[in-house]
Amino acid sequence: MTDAVLTRLAGLFGELLPADAVITDPVRLRTYDCDGLTYHRATPGIVVLPDTAEQIAAVVRLCDEYGVPFVARGSGTGLSGGALPRTDGVLIVTSRMRRILEIDLQNRRAVVEPGVTNLAITEAVRDQGYYYAPDPSSQQICSIGGNVAENSGGAHCLKYGFTVNHILGLEIVTPDGEIVELSADDPGYDLLGAFIGSEGTLGIATKITVRLSRAPEAVTTLLAAFTGIEAGGQAVSAIIAAGIVPAAIEMMDALAIEAAEAAVNCAYPQGAGAVLIVELDGPHAEVGHQFAEVERICRESGAFEIRVAASAEERAAIWKGRKSAFAAVGRISPAYIVQDGVVPRTALPEVLAGIDRLQEEYGIRVANVFHAGDGNLHPLVLFDDAVPGQGERAEAVSGRILDLCIEHGGSITGEHGVGVDKSRYMPKMFTEEDLDTMQLVRCAFDPRGLSNPGKVFPTPRLCGEVPGVRKGVHPLVESGRAEQF
Amino acid sequence: MNDDAGAEEVLTAALTDTGVAIRPAGPDDSVAGVRPRWVALPEATEEIAALMRVTSAHDLAVVTTGAGTKLHWGHPPERCDVLIDTCCLNEILEHEAGDLVVRVQAGVPLDALARALAAKGQELAIDVPLEGGTVGGLLATGIAGPRRFRYGTARDLIIGITVVLADGTIAKAGGKVVKNVAGYDLGKLFTGSYGTLGVIADATFRLHPLPTARAWVTATFDRPVTETQGTREDEKGVAFDTASVDVADEIRVIVPAVAESQAEPSAIEVDWPDVNGPCVIAVLVEGAAAAERARAVQDMMGEKAQVADEPPEWWGRLPGLPGLPGPADRAGDEGVLLEFRNVASRLPGTFVGPFSTAATTGTRPAVRGSLASGVLHVALPPGTEPAAAAAFVGALRAECEDAGRVVVLTAPEEVARRVDRWGHVGGLTLMRRVKDRFDPERRMSPGRFVGGI
Amino acid sequence: MDPELIKDCVHCGFCLPTCPTYLLWGEEMDSPRGRIHLMAQHVEGTPVTDEMAGHFDACLGCMACVTACPSGVRYDRLIEETRAVVEREHVRAPEDRAIRGLVFALFPYRRRLRAMRLPMRLATRMRPFLDRVHPSLGAMAELVPPPARPVRLPPRVHALGRRRATVGMLTGCVQSQFFPRVNAATARVLAMEGCDVMIPPRQGCCGALSLHSGRDARRFAKRTIAMFERAGVDTVVVNVAGCGSSMKEYAEVLRDEPEWAERAEALRVRDLAEYLVELGPVARRHPLPVSVAYHDACHLAHAQGVRSQPRELLRGIPGLELREISESAICCGSAGTYNLFQPGPARELGDRKAGHVMATGAEVLVSANPGCSMQIAAAVRRSGKGEMRVAHTAEVLDASLRGLGARALGRA
Repeated sequence: MTDAVLTRLAGLFGELLPADAVITDPVRLRTYDCDGLTYHRATPGIVVLPDTAEQIAAVVRLCDEYGVPFVARGSGTGLSGGALPRTDGVLIVTSRMRRILEIDLQNRRAVVEPGVTNLAITEAVRDQGYYYAPDPSSQQICSIGGNVAENSGGAHCLKYGFTVNHILGLEIVTPDGEIVELSADDPGYDLLGAFIGSEGTLGIATKITVRLSRAPEAVTTLLAAFTGIEAGGQAVSAIIAAGIVPAAIEMMDALAIEAAEAAVNCAYPQGAGAVLIVELDGPHAEVGHQFAEVERICRESGAFEIRVAASAEERAAIWKGRKSAFAAVGRISPAYIVQDGVVPRTALPEVLAGIDRLQEEYGIRVANVFHAGDGNLHPLVLFDDAVPGQGERAEAVSGRILDLCIEHGGSITGEHGVGVDKSRYMPKMFTEEDLDTMQLVRCAFDPRGLSNPGKVFPTPRLCGEVPGVRKGVHPLVESGRAEQF
Repeated sequence: MNDDAGAEEVLTAALTDTGVAIRPAGPDDSVAGVRPRWVALPEATEEIAALMRVTSAHDLAVVTTGAGTKLHWGHPPERCDVLIDTCCLNEILEHEAGDLVVRVQAGVPLDALARALAAKGQELAIDVPLEGGTVGGLLATGIAGPRRFRYGTARDLIIGITVVLADGTIAKAGGKVVKNVAGYDLGKLFTGSYGTLGVIADATFRLHPLPTARAWVTATFDRPVTETQGTREDEKGVAFDTASVDVADEIRVIVPAVAESQAEPSAIEVDWPDVNGPCVIAVLVEGAAAAERARAVQDMMGEKAQVADEPPEWWGRLPGLPGLPGPADRAGDEGVLLEFRNVASRLPGTFVGPFSTAATTGTRPAVRGSLASGVLHVALPPGTEPAAAAAFVGALRAECEDAGRVVVLTAPEEVARRVDRWGHVGGLTLMRRVKDRFDPERRMSPGRFVGGI
Repeated sequence: MDPELIKDCVHCGFCLPTCPTYLLWGEEMDSPRGRIHLMAQHVEGTPVTDEMAGHFDACLGCMACVTACPSGVRYDRLIEETRAVVEREHVRAPEDRAIRGLVFALFPYRRRLRAMRLPMRLATRMRPFLDRVHPSLGAMAELVPPPARPVRLPPRVHALGRRRATVGMLTGCVQSQFFPRVNAATARVLAMEGCDVMIPPRQGCCGALSLHSGRDARRFAKRTIAMFERAGVDTVVVNVAGCGSSMKEYAEVLRDEPEWAERAEALRVRDLAEYLVELGPVARRHPLPVSVAYHDACHLAHAQGVRSQPRELLRGIPGLELREISESAICCGSAGTYNLFQPGPARELGDRKAGHVMATGAEVLVSANPGCSMQIAAAVRRSGKGEMRVAHTAEVLDASLRGLGARALGRA
């Protein structure tokens, strides 16, 4: 892509958008060079800050016309580089589209713009006794549009499911600039289900209808301290085996606890080698019954201290350590990699032992924070970038952890997405045929491959003309930089 | 004629060469009135792939069936050469109870699956409102029952899938962990796709522990709708009679109160066998302290409400279908079955819609389904005049306007010809593009789905 | 700009929703994360461009991001260092320079400030004209409250009853000129709670205005330290959030002069509310039947972490109903000199805050910073909803301790 094309595009955008909504100043552009994953950086060619779906559609149509790639970005908190810009492309930032358009409690739904933060939805309906269930740790800032792109989860998705289970409808701008409505109530293919979690490769969500949930009658949060992670893991298995589905079961190991203490003084029990946070919610009677069970199980599994939150403040205090854990690790290590892998719950002990072995083998520390209920690990691989070679070793450990997950029948990402960071691991988890089949969906939505190219899939692929005969050889294919598909 | 017979033999040989059991199709094998030429009975995913390579090479159209309980749903296929019967793909591949996950082949009967899971104290929390179906059929139609209010539907519980595409490509997506965002979610895309994208070979679901206790609270409402006669004057002072129809006040109050209550019901269902008669509303409460919570619901539902630990006999069954459907082609010998979605709080519409529409079209619909999630089934009895049935569909759509959707699940051909089966479909252009990519030669259940897909 | 401090930022974005300018404009470069990115660009060799300086200037320095940051990034130090760099390296437009010169020549000096009271009163009437000349002048004219009758405080106020402590008291430049009654109330409350209060006469500026604008504050700091040393106190109670937060930073400001840094360390600086809660109440609280909305001044809540104490004190007053203001962590737009230099966004933030304050329906707005009170009162006035009654925490306590009743509270 030539600069001339970008300059021309910037001029055209200027006719469609307010002056302050088109950014071309290089210093300003650079502030958009990465999302929550700073490891990958690219300064976008142009940044636009649209205010409406129509503006997005117009921008996308121009991109389509000029063959310029575009990337959507919400709050830029993603941890897989899903919103990594293209130097030869346009970054469409939805941070100004943050209106809550409609709240319909009778039908338990709200219609919001993509830039609205996850927590803002809950805050808007909390007083009426409702909330928006998916709660990623970054919920106070991550945008709902980003949640849709990544199919975000959160600590409570064990019981309540993911973004995809809570979205009732979308208005999207397709990669050719059409505005299309997708509704969970309509017959036809579940395009809603296909779009959510497609990491911006199938278009941009511009209006989102979310399901609101009734706030549970009772919430009990319990913090159990164990001397080691194995005992905590036992407790988790026993809780599940008892037929209890808690709203959340979270575990942190000693190193993660240390970081959280340093950051937010969460005052977890002294000497804990692992803490388990179990949250139960539902009708009073049910929660009371289950709580007794969980407490018994934790004690039998060796918990040496159990705390129960008696108020919303105390619950917040228990969660504070957990929710701040990622960023808090910055207090105990100059640099770190946040990994996100999933294993079947029953494989947790083996995989954790495997991570221990990796720590020894590479001389790299790993702090473990995980959603124990659904086997979603967030190992934080610590290193000092000032020490030569440590970064590479940390990177290696991080990759080996994903190998462990795949070996045990798990996944390379539970909630952070594939983005640019993990696309190279996709062939380890999926066959060529699997990826080709997914690519069919991509080709249906985005035959020219302009919507967030280079993400999710390992090799840039092109979509053959369908139906009909292919016309000539694409230059990317000729130069060996892409495979014709 | 000889050439045709010769060609038939070549094709039969090609199909047989795959090693898959092939038999010629009989009249009982018809798909919505269209008789296939062969029935194939693959025993493994690779066998489906082998079949698909042959059908691809010879431009043969393919329809897949499990127990055949819903094979007559949707449009008749434009053509159907090979019927793939998944009866021999009936293995539960993996059930690690500690992971609350099961991986099953498409042909596994749902009741066999339920038994196997129950042995470990678990369940797949979908109440399919038809007996005798398979996992594959459940996924192809996306049908769900009462507890969709709490657990969602198949698309919410599927976490992994293996499919075979029209060209024989075997592809999987998702996996066997509940939390997983790697790659596109083909499982959801194939769920409810009526066999038009490929053949589902196996699927992986998240499970739930069987509830420790269940209780149903039921109450009968003699007059679910009220008609108010009155007179009004227009601006010229001319008086005229008016009749306004509305849902009975007690239902209007009770249903939202129960749905939003802290008793957390898993389902709120209505059975209204004759829209001119009474209806029964039943609420399911599951889990610890179910009895206690059921009493709370009972208090909300009034004096006549009763608590039971067994469901009412109509619970979780489609309306208007006497007896068990068999695997035979049933088009033409039964009535019209509609799926009627109405945004939940438009409760009045849910009752008034079928009532008024019945009155204006002279039909006798039976209504049953989920009041809490606003998804109901409406059956018109066999023998309903085709024109009246078609009028009923149109009028019901008009009645619920934007807030509702009416899909014709089954209809005799006479009715089907006169109605738009699917009604409003958002994103149809994108759906066609998806179909074009997955099945560019239109050989997978062609014409059966929305927009003639 | 210390590269090590910059590196602490992991780019998580948790600061974004707390940043007033991000709330207004939704732009990365007007968020703390974006500004840190700009600082990194500068450290890597990009000169301070007009755009860059504009984004730094737009920062209110409210420090809400510091509270929100899970990685412990010292944005407060970063932005102060950055402002110094901008002052040093960046050439501003002539009219901006003139306005900044005026403010820094005026506000830190109470005699000059006093001299300006009359011209400023005239200026209020000339606002439309001033607005046209420069929006900053208009903003200044709009904010200024009616001149108050000067209150002369004795150098020493004796404790009522048993003496429990001896403390020094800072009177503040703007506070003493425009809100002298707050100082009087502060001294009385301290005395009634059993403190001997030392109030050195001829107090100068503590250095807050300079410090928060990237100017050298060391001279002001040393003068203030020496003054309280002479008064013989080791604890200084401050009733202005902005002053308290800079005084707590003295050791940091004077780090290059170890002797002075040590003297700074020896001086215990406490916000009034913080101190009173530490001390514990002894004086009798008379009922004060009034509803108040408590506004968190950024320099109190974020810079000093004092949030619960003022609320605790207010809740301790019988009959008083405390109401929370939504978006309480977001700056009102006053931010020291911000509303003078950046009148546009300051006004937008003021309107936003005024809306939330009015939504509480409280009769009186309570805050611990004169700048905030002026800012919010001006915004309420602008909205056409009349005069908002504003009071300092000290005045509310004073009214309760003296049994004055709620009527007089927050009335001119």
